[in-house]
Amino acid sequence: MRLGAIRAYMLKEFIDLKRSKMIYLVYLLPIMILILFGYGIRLEVTHARTIVIDQDNSKLSIDLAHAFMHSKYFDTKILPITPDEALASMKRAKTDIIIIIPPSFEKNLLKGLKSEIGVFIDASFPLRGRVMQGYVQGVLLNKASEYLPPQKIPLILINQRLLFNQAMRDENAIVPGLIALALLVAPAILAALLIVKEKEYGTIFNFYASPLSKAEFLIAKLTPPFVLHSVNIFIAFFIATYIFDVPFRGSFALFWVASELYVAVAVGIGLLVSIITRTQIAATVLAMLITIIPSFLYSGMLMPISAMEGGSYIEAHLFPVMYYSYILYDTFLIGQGLQSSTIILYLSILALYGTGLILIGSKLLKKELS
Amino acid sequence: MRAFWTILLKELTLFMRSVGLVVAVLFFFLVDVYIVGNDIEIEPKNVSVGYVDYSNGGVLSKKILSHLHAPEFKKPIPFQSHEALSKAIFDKKIVVGLIFDPDFQKRYDAGGATQLNVLLDSTAATQSLLTLNYLQNIVLGFSSPKFPIELKIHKLFNQNSDTKKFMPLAELLSIMTLFGVILSASVFVKEKEQGTWDIMLLTPVDSRIIIFAKTTSQVLILFFLTMLSTGIDLFGIFDLPLNGSFAAYALMTLVFLYSIAGIGLFVAAVSNTIMEVAQWSVFLMMPIIFLSGAWTPIYSMNIYLQYLAYLSPLRYYIEGVESILFRGTPVEDLWLYFAGMTVIGAFLFMVGYRKIGKLF
Repeated sequence: MRLGAIRAYMLKEFIDLKRSKMIYLVYLLPIMILILFGYGIRLEVTHARTIVIDQDNSKLSIDLAHAFMHSKYFDTKILPITPDEALASMKRAKTDIIIIIPPSFEKNLLKGLKSEIGVFIDASFPLRGRVMQGYVQGVLLNKASEYLPPQKIPLILINQRLLFNQAMRDENAIVPGLIALALLVAPAILAALLIVKEKEYGTIFNFYASPLSKAEFLIAKLTPPFVLHSVNIFIAFFIATYIFDVPFRGSFALFWVASELYVAVAVGIGLLVSIITRTQIAATVLAMLITIIPSFLYSGMLMPISAMEGGSYIEAHLFPVMYYSYILYDTFLIGQGLQSSTIILYLSILALYGTGLILIGSKLLKKELS
Repeated sequence: MRAFWTILLKELTLFMRSVGLVVAVLFFFLVDVYIVGNDIEIEPKNVSVGYVDYSNGGVLSKKILSHLHAPEFKKPIPFQSHEALSKAIFDKKIVVGLIFDPDFQKRYDAGGATQLNVLLDSTAATQSLLTLNYLQNIVLGFSSPKFPIELKIHKLFNQNSDTKKFMPLAELLSIMTLFGVILSASVFVKEKEQGTWDIMLLTPVDSRIIIFAKTTSQVLILFFLTMLSTGIDLFGIFDLPLNGSFAAYALMTLVFLYSIAGIGLFVAAVSNTIMEVAQWSVFLMMPIIFLSGAWTPIYSMNIYLQYLAYLSPLRYYIEGVESILFRGTPVEDLWLYFAGMTVIGAFLFMVGYRKIGKLF
């Protein structure tokens, strides 16, 4: 191990990164992922375009219609049109929700007779349709039960306690998962490119012919992506807490250590990618392929791990994303920290994963023409 | 005109010869669309439930638990105490915890309001919201025979709000956008990278014909791939409906691909290597997709983003395609999407054309 040689090689890498403007990519890509997806993936629906057709025109029905007026979830219009006209407007994608209050609605309700409210929801974006359905049910049932005749109806009320994300903010749910995505994709691509670039340009022969050992070469090649992306850990933290207002309830030290380990894992993935590819474009595509999809699937961002079964449950445990995002969600939203044995276990798995990948990579790396 | 066809044919042949590229695009248009459509689900499914029953095995608590079943919920797991249940939720083993108070049943039988305590891991906000909704519906079902209002909810165009009918479409559109830019840009940048650009300049062919023929060749390839994916993945595997006119769908796809190719022309003008093309494409693709309304409804966005969204060609395309496939909008009502896309497409194409035209 000659430190001088490593230092010289590393310096060359840094100069190279600066000259090829790749250094911008190092910081641009994660920031873009966080900001764009953070603002872009909103599963909550606000300002749904709602038409209320009030065929009753009683005090109660007007009250009910007005319940939709004062809510950020609905942009409501009460229109004297026929249901068919409203449906035609929905077909032209001008309307999302139609609520039809039937004639003699108030009369029936006060008599204790059953009355039906018709609700039509555009479900061509299925998830949006479901979310809107939930909102509409909530508003109508709440409002209507205020007007129930004072007779005893056995009711079960739900006393909900929302843990970890009391306000049910999409940001809190998604941004930590995005950090897991950004810190995996970007270092993996950079690490892979630094080595593959030499292969594509043929300058890898300099390394073959030089007295530099494999270990020295790897230290020189993998340190820059590791160090540069360590800065992204802090950037990501600031974006999450300042721009998206995600609470941070755990220990920063734990977050930092886990993130460094995770970046090392990502660099290791990049190393493996660089071994099996020959061109930069192939390396980029492969690195993206094996990092992006698992990050979305197994970070728990879209689907909790406990809800997985069979194959995908096992796959989730094979990728590093799950372990890191568990720690991430804990440090941001839950705050158990090292008191939880799972976290210590997952932390050591990440450490093993990182060293394992880099060891395998260095074994497979060739220092001669094959 | 002969020059046009010759260049077109040459580019098609070149594409077919690069086996790696053909395999890659086929993978993305067919396999990736399938994987995403099949695996990514946001609805509550298999949600793990735990409960503590302090009401000593009352009938009511059993009845409620029996309503939590597949596919939405896993079989509820009993816990001894509130603390044990909390711990399981903190360890992310359980998402929903139900606690039945000792007087849960008694108060219900007495004809009053009783209370069901629900602990919910709301890290996944949407799923918890939907789960809560589901629970609310279940308990409402118990009192509903006496509840005087009934909501008749019709979810139009996708009865069961099945996300399997939406995810593959959304993924296909993203892939069309990404490859639309990459392919139409690299058909020019390839010449720059391999040094054949100068030879191209020396050919006695009008630059307009070269640009148009090269772009059209890639648009045709993409059009073919999209139709392939539509046939095999969307209609074949995921069984999407086709309530409108297929011709309108095909025409709209073609217009969309030309407007994306316009962005490709711009990228081709500013990049010198394929690597730069890839970076530019990803860089441009994300805003195009996020401003399209595929993920967040445009009317829910920040007002400035709503204005910006007018510029995303994908916005018109996705609404148009949704209207054709799901809503079954009649052709004459689609003109707005065609108009929007043609204007944006013509604008993007002109910008890209002028930018690359300077290099000739």
